[in-house]
Amino acid sequence: MEFKLEAHRIVSISLGKIYNSRVQRGGIKLHKNLLVSLVLRSARQVYLSDPCPSLYLAGHPGAPALPQQPGESVAGPPAGWGEPPPPAACAAWPEPEPQLELPAVPEVPRAGDAEPAATVTGAGDTLQGGEAEAAEAAWRRVEGPRETAVGGSDVFPQGFGAARRPCGCPPGDEDKMSASPRVDGCCAPRPAGPEPPVPPLVCPRKRGAEGVGGGPADFPAPGSTPLKKPRRNSEEQPGGAAAAAAQEEEEMETGNVANLISIFGSSFSGLLRKSPGGGREEAEGEESGPEAAEPGQICCDKPVLRDINPWSTAIVAF
Amino acid sequence: MLLSLPALHLQTSEYHPLFQLPHRRLGPWCSPTGSPAPLSCETGCGEGSWILVCRLLVPTQVSLLSMEEDIDTRKINNSFLRDHSYATEADIISTVEFNHTGELLATGDKGGRVVIFQREQESKNQVHRRGEYNVYSTFQSHEPEFDYLKSLEIEEKINKIRWLPQQNAAYFLLSTNDKTVKLWKVSERDKRPEGYNLKDEEGRLRDPATITTLRVPVLRPMDLMVEATPRRVFANAHTYHINSISVNSDYETYMSADDLRINLWNFEITNQSFNIVDIKPANMEELTEVITAAEFHPHHCNTFVYSSSKGTIRLCDMRASALCDRHTKFFEEPEDPSNRSFFSEIISSISDVKFSHSGRYIMTRDYLTVKVWDLNMENRPIETYQVHDYLRSKLCSLYENDCIFDKFECVWNGSDSVIMTGSYNNFFRMFDRNTKRDVTLEASRENSKPRAILKPRKVCVGGKRRKDEISVDSLDFSKKILHTAWHPSENIIAVAATNNLYIFQDKVN
Repeated sequence: MEFKLEAHRIVSISLGKIYNSRVQRGGIKLHKNLLVSLVLRSARQVYLSDPCPSLYLAGHPGAPALPQQPGESVAGPPAGWGEPPPPAACAAWPEPEPQLELPAVPEVPRAGDAEPAATVTGAGDTLQGGEAEAAEAAWRRVEGPRETAVGGSDVFPQGFGAARRPCGCPPGDEDKMSASPRVDGCCAPRPAGPEPPVPPLVCPRKRGAEGVGGGPADFPAPGSTPLKKPRRNSEEQPGGAAAAAAQEEEEMETGNVANLISIFGSSFSGLLRKSPGGGREEAEGEESGPEAAEPGQICCDKPVLRDINPWSTAIVAF
Repeated sequence: MLLSLPALHLQTSEYHPLFQLPHRRLGPWCSPTGSPAPLSCETGCGEGSWILVCRLLVPTQVSLLSMEEDIDTRKINNSFLRDHSYATEADIISTVEFNHTGELLATGDKGGRVVIFQREQESKNQVHRRGEYNVYSTFQSHEPEFDYLKSLEIEEKINKIRWLPQQNAAYFLLSTNDKTVKLWKVSERDKRPEGYNLKDEEGRLRDPATITTLRVPVLRPMDLMVEATPRRVFANAHTYHINSISVNSDYETYMSADDLRINLWNFEITNQSFNIVDIKPANMEELTEVITAAEFHPHHCNTFVYSSSKGTIRLCDMRASALCDRHTKFFEEPEDPSNRSFFSEIISSISDVKFSHSGRYIMTRDYLTVKVWDLNMENRPIETYQVHDYLRSKLCSLYENDCIFDKFECVWNGSDSVIMTGSYNNFFRMFDRNTKRDVTLEASRENSKPRAILKPRKVCVGGKRRKDEISVDSLDFSKKILHTAWHPSENIIAVAATNNLYIFQDKVN
């Protein structure tokens, strides 16, 4: 269990580093980002292989604190995304998990759809389609009756798709460029076609303006309305969380986290490329070809990367 | 008692497009109390007999640009520079290198400047002043640039300086930032022509009607002036950040290495370079390692090594093929599975690789250890030294504060018997390969009196802390010694601690 917490924390920190590396002077450092992505992978593997998720949730000090405070959790993430406060992060983390319990089941097939689509070779279009579909469905469900608590599960695919909405915005050029193929699907604010260099510059500023929680703010970036929904979701969730059964958590695990992880896994090399700014460097200088060529992988990784924890903290924050 | 260290400032008597700074031999930095005898390299790492020769502050931009300074300004500068807390980031030293004779010591900083120190000449009158280094030349090597196509700012920080062997009266060095390598010529001028026909003494043209005689200009002595001119600029050859440069033993070529490629240059040709190593995968998604350092063999002009972020070293022979993607030798030590952690990959990444002077060994530095490899044995190093193993349990915190990404360098002494590397809290470590003894020393203002013997330091890992020990938790991780240099033939070392340059020498009893 401690490993899981530790892994979770390390993932948050790593994501923060990758995010911050975008605004560093002198350009993104390939070596450092490569190392950070390796740590991210190790932490992810540990998280996945940790055998006691239920213990994690039940014994988590943050869990009892859940029901009351969006406020407190809000204080957490803004305190520093770069140094994600573990309590807040951990507090936020169980939130989506209980959220996912119910919808876990209905989500699984969706996840299942997305999963094979995500695996390895170019099923970019399928994936894109699946994800866009999931995103749409997620949004629909979010607006629907809350008691289904599907918002929670939608959290992931929703975040997934939503994070891809501002797809140009996010951490890097490669996302921007990767977003271009599916700009029609997700990216309302994004112009179609080759991105001019302006958007990535604009986005970081926007994100910067939002402060530390800026990265995951990709998700709420398109508008405030979506923010409210996840917040309501998260507030709803704790009720559901209390009733969460271990089995459901397992499902949640397999249903959504595993979904993400498998997407990670299938295109982990994409993770490597994305984060170490190998992808960035690519986007910045060399070929945009490979990125455009594998939209599926590109599409998932970065937003999903962000989504894992900061996502959940962002939900609470916003 | 630590004497006040005067600010280093160089007055320019006339402004010139080239960086002509009048040479000033400033007063001693510290009052010497002993007479350093000629030192041999056989004295080993000294076991506590290292003394501080001088502590040098890189002159700040403020003082460099001031055309004239009166006493008052100088006093202000004194106090300004002496206070460590006012050090700007541009003054942080990013590379240190002795030249081949050890007479000159070059430092590069984050602000793109190069400062060259020259050793005080031994003279009969002041025999005790030998061994001190004074500023010889300062120039702005690189400026910040902006790559408009990629919307990237290119830092002006000097990543590496490498000297060329001296072939005439001038000195040549290579300095590089992330993208561009420059060859600088540093030369002295101590005569100037006087007595022109058409110009008067201030350089103004004379009215031709007033010229009635003809004379030949003669060379008259003048104040020694050291000028630095950029002779070659090697640009636009690297997509990724240059991390190493290395001059070949043929003195005609050199190589520059970035994260994924190594290029071979000829000093005379700036618009072409040959790519000799390229580890960029066709699909960047499959990237697993990057090049972290590269160096030519000291004697064999066809051989070089490069280290990777995976903890491996490859030795390549340029005679084998034009593109040396296939290594001739591959040095890797199998990982110890008991030490596996989240950060195993990071701490195994090699930050520096150096050939021994003999060319028989290579030394590599990763985050926690220094390893010496025999070129004839590829499967494991022949020696491994723990630099600061007490940090192994703190890797997560070091990851959080980014310290785990610090790139420490390592150096050999002239006889390859002692190796040295830096650590945190302004500590640096020396390991004697023969006696297997090691020492930890500190480069700090508070603890260093000029000519006083450095006291060995010790970090206590747990349990009872003895009186002079420092506990791991009170180490200052913002004070790190990444760059050190050892004189090629004598026991004189230069240690860069943030914006301070410490020069120590071995005191022979």
